[in-house]
Amino acid sequence: MTKKLPKLKLEDKCFPNLDGAGDWGIKGYQKRGGYKGLKKLLQTAPAEHIDKLKKSALRGRGGAGFSTGMKWSFMPKPEQSGKPHYLVCNADEGEPGTCKDRDILRNDPHTLVEGMIVGCYTLGAKAGYIYVRGEYYDESSRLNQAIREAYDAGFLGKNIQGTGVDVDVYVHLGAGAYICGEETALLESLEGKKGQPRLKPPFPAGFGLYGCPTTINNVETIAQVPPVLKHPLDWWTRWGRENNHGTKIFSISGSVNNPCNVEAPMSIPLRELIDEYAGGVIGGWDNLQAIIPGGSSTPILTKELAEQAIMDFDGLKPLGSSLGTAAVVVMNKDVDVLRVMTRIAAFYKHESCGQCTPCREGVGWVYRLMHRLAEGKGTADELDQLYAITKKIEGRTICAFADGAMWPVQGTLRHFRELFEEKLRDGK
Amino acid sequence: MTTTPLPPAPEGMLNVYVDGRLVHVRKGATVMDACKAAEQEVPHFCYHKRLSVAGNCRMCMVEIEGFPKPVASCHWPAAEGMKVRTDSETATTARKGTMEFLLINHPLDCPICDQGGECTLQDLSVAYGGDRSHFHEGKRAVDDKDIGAKIKTVMTRCIHCTRCIRFATEIAGVQEMGATGRGEAMQVGTYVESALTSELAGNMIDLCPVGALTNRPFAYTARPWELVGTDTIDVLDAVGGHIRLDARAGKVMRAVPRECDAINEEWMTDAARFSTDALSSNRLTAPQLRKGRGKGKLENTGWAEAFAAIKEAVRGVRKTRLAGLMDNLHSAEDGYAFRAFMQDALGSDNVDSRMAGNLVDSKSHAAGICNTPFKRWDDADAVLLVGCNPRLEAPLLNIRLRRVVKKGAPVFVVGEVADLTYPVTHLGDTAKELETLLDGKTAAAKALAKAERPLIVVGGAVLARPDGRAIVRAAGELAEKVAMTDSWNGFNVLHDTCGRITALDMAVHPAHGGMATAEILENWRENHVDVLFLYGDCDLTPADLAGGRGTLVYIGTHATPLAAMADVVLPAAAWSEKEGLFANAEGRVQATRAAVPPPLSAKEDWKIFRALSEQVGDKLPFDTLAQLRAAIAEFCPAYAPEAIGTILPAPWQGVGKKGKLTAKPLASSVGAYYLRTAHHRESAWMKTMQAEVAPVQEEAA
Ligand code: SF4
Ligand code: FES
Repeated sequence: MTKKLPKLKLEDKCFPNLDGAGDWGIKGYQKRGGYKGLKKLLQTAPAEHIDKLKKSALRGRGGAGFSTGMKWSFMPKPEQSGKPHYLVCNADEGEPGTCKDRDILRNDPHTLVEGMIVGCYTLGAKAGYIYVRGEYYDESSRLNQAIREAYDAGFLGKNIQGTGVDVDVYVHLGAGAYICGEETALLESLEGKKGQPRLKPPFPAGFGLYGCPTTINNVETIAQVPPVLKHPLDWWTRWGRENNHGTKIFSISGSVNNPCNVEAPMSIPLRELIDEYAGGVIGGWDNLQAIIPGGSSTPILTKELAEQAIMDFDGLKPLGSSLGTAAVVVMNKDVDVLRVMTRIAAFYKHESCGQCTPCREGVGWVYRLMHRLAEGKGTADELDQLYAITKKIEGRTICAFADGAMWPVQGTLRHFRELFEEKLRDGK
Repeated sequence: MTTTPLPPAPEGMLNVYVDGRLVHVRKGATVMDACKAAEQEVPHFCYHKRLSVAGNCRMCMVEIEGFPKPVASCHWPAAEGMKVRTDSETATTARKGTMEFLLINHPLDCPICDQGGECTLQDLSVAYGGDRSHFHEGKRAVDDKDIGAKIKTVMTRCIHCTRCIRFATEIAGVQEMGATGRGEAMQVGTYVESALTSELAGNMIDLCPVGALTNRPFAYTARPWELVGTDTIDVLDAVGGHIRLDARAGKVMRAVPRECDAINEEWMTDAARFSTDALSSNRLTAPQLRKGRGKGKLENTGWAEAFAAIKEAVRGVRKTRLAGLMDNLHSAEDGYAFRAFMQDALGSDNVDSRMAGNLVDSKSHAAGICNTPFKRWDDADAVLLVGCNPRLEAPLLNIRLRRVVKKGAPVFVVGEVADLTYPVTHLGDTAKELETLLDGKTAAAKALAKAERPLIVVGGAVLARPDGRAIVRAAGELAEKVAMTDSWNGFNVLHDTCGRITALDMAVHPAHGGMATAEILENWRENHVDVLFLYGDCDLTPADLAGGRGTLVYIGTHATPLAAMADVVLPAAAWSEKEGLFANAEGRVQATRAAVPPPLSAKEDWKIFRALSEQVGDKLPFDTLAQLRAAIAEFCPAYAPEAIGTILPAPWQGVGKKGKLTAKPLASSVGAYYLRTAHHRESAWMKTMQAEVAPVQEEAA
């Protein structure tokens, strides 16, 4: 095996208090270096920030992996648009297996607050909204306390630190729909409407919240902006491969000895991640059956594929999967993979917003068919049919939800078809 | 791929290839627009040209060269040089996929579905549906919703296109329809089950591409292919929307709208759609005569006997003691013939068609119409309503007012305030506010003065007030001051029906010192009128005629309480049973056509007056419809064949008459919307629908 990556020291991390060992409040945060250098960031031209973000290769941590610097550069200049601008933070963390944002909100909320300040300034926004998943009630109140502290310390509000920059941040609690994590559904929900994705174009950068230019980013992404901007570029780029730089929080769960959230360098081999940080697979690596590498919508990997997997945006693509939210779900040989995948299909059936036809009608069909086949009721023809249905849904819908719902099914059929066939034989 | 550069498209246009054919579409057009330009029909469910784009049915998918996935053409913007394929494998497979998904949970109950035969899903499934199902799971069933007397729901059939929701929210302006639930559990309905309160709800029936929302009164009465359609005009309000009456075996079964951009776009009011039952119930089908005057019973008789009785009644009576009143549902032919009968055959000038109290005459055409054509209402940038509730008086025009409000035009109201589906600024209850506006000092006055195209709408009820002429004068002066340019005349009077306007055009009012409505009624009650010809109910009740001992001749369509008081009853044709010319509020003359013949012995109205004239006095000089129309055209050029369908210019000559504006609050001409005319009051469905909204209206009051 190749040389292992070093473990991150506190000063290498964007979220030094992710484990909650220290003080989550403003005192603790400032002791760890928080808000230091904020004033200077607010006095630097936004274009410089965007330029540096582009160079840093910070890519969206919410799953899509789009370059943050690029995304921010799509926003018009405030003087061009003549409208208010908004930065919206997507804290509607709902992807099964994913729980990284929760720990950020819980144990290091000021990282997000500072990110919102810098982000709003860079994007020309005077107001930022943080849309927190409804179930994260406790986390949202901690976030609100952090915001209060930031106001009291003069990091939020009018004329921050005498720089003339005004930023207000508001927290909005969702009502528990997974689809509100889709950025335009989130905007609809924030506007008080039914949470359903919008048609694109127009894109939020031109026509977002209340029809104004808006950028929407994941919690982790926004919180990583200040450290990236404050440090020299190579503080960040020394980690990870080209175009995948930096550190990233991995949520490791399932059949591992020590399930955890951990900030580690990008491009870490999957096996190393599990062995080094999560105490290894229960029953040893050879007891491994399958791994979902990036949250429930990323296609499943077999043990063989998992051994080759490099955990970054470009490393999982050749394996037919993706990094997603970097929520690693490990399944050893005690796990009934078909049951897990059927349960995931049930989740998507439950969470489809119902707006467009293929998703509304198709996802439930896929779930029912899969459920039946996983119990051994059906024919081998229906396995092909199941695949065909997923293909009639994928790429035909308004948003990417349906794609994310179909990929795990396709992955299961690709790698674990024999499990179905076994069941079908038994079922006879 | 063509390598030669495209020739530049005309200014503001784009070059787009659709199935290899080059078309030009304006910038900002969608791919679907481009396909339309190339005469390629794109199948669709959710898209509707008068609603916002939802892009949710995914039926309209096409392939665009260079795109990895099929694209929903209804919302995708066309781009320069784009190559679209509507017939490729990718496009067709995508549509077939969508169709399969739509059908898996759609019941196969076409044989008992009222939409059958005119269902978009049924039609498109012929082209894109499979011939066998792969779906072996249980089908979804959805509870039907009770959303009132107008619309029958079978919600298992709903394909969630949200057209109904978008119509209710965007066009009708009532936030009553919506979707609850997520995913396959999503249900369309009224959130909390309740009757829809919109006067335009019936349009959702036409919009619904499947049989989820169907015409409730029409349910199970006929199949669409059994019906014979007649294109005609809705004369039940002053807008004159284009409609089609569908009849079977001599009975009008239903009414549906036709498209007409200038007037009703493609909408229809519920009062017109759901009142067709009135056309075939409680009708007068034979002449009737009361034997033994005053005491005896009305009995069916022949035309000759009825005519003889009238001849007897008018014999020797002084012309000043004869009078005639006409209702507001009559065509130009009816009105012209009636007036000619009264004035020329009987020699009496006591004839009127106006509401009691209305003294406004027809000398200036511009004074009695909407000088702003309906289509141009869309351009208004400020609105003043004077004693007018457009939501109830002309729901189709209220759609246009909503549109300008959305664009930012303020609406000021003088008179009673009601929920018009958009916010208004209430200036006051009385016409005195007009004086304040004329002074020009208040914010509202300034807003009207600043607006480039203000719209002033005076409700029909205003005219029937003692100070009616003074109010019209004040409104006219205000219009002269702020709302008149070479290209804009913002002065509008909104009458209650087309017939009312048509009657004024036909001069059915006393011209040479005869009595007006109020006077006629008073003299009848006091027995100074010996024979009263009552042509329709004229919005009267039996009490209005109580005490009169003269001969009452009733010419009309229904056995109303007034008809029951008459001594002679002559059965006439309803508006759906004759060819007639009607002016609408903008002064546009349109022709109705007969969908069915008059029932049994009933006759077309002009023929009755023509035949009767011969009996009682001078024979009227027309024997055919053509002759009558020629006479009408000569009398009023707007009714000449070449003018039909157009708006003739109405020169402005000032309006009304100076006078004192009283402190009596202004009210709308329409109280109970569903019972607004004598026609509606004969409809059982209308009564149900009125009862349904009555509690709502009380609550609002
Ligand atoms: S009821 Fe009809 S119009 Fe409304 S969403 Fe369903 S299918 Fe569409
Ligand atoms: S018509 Fe385009 S998606 Fe429905």
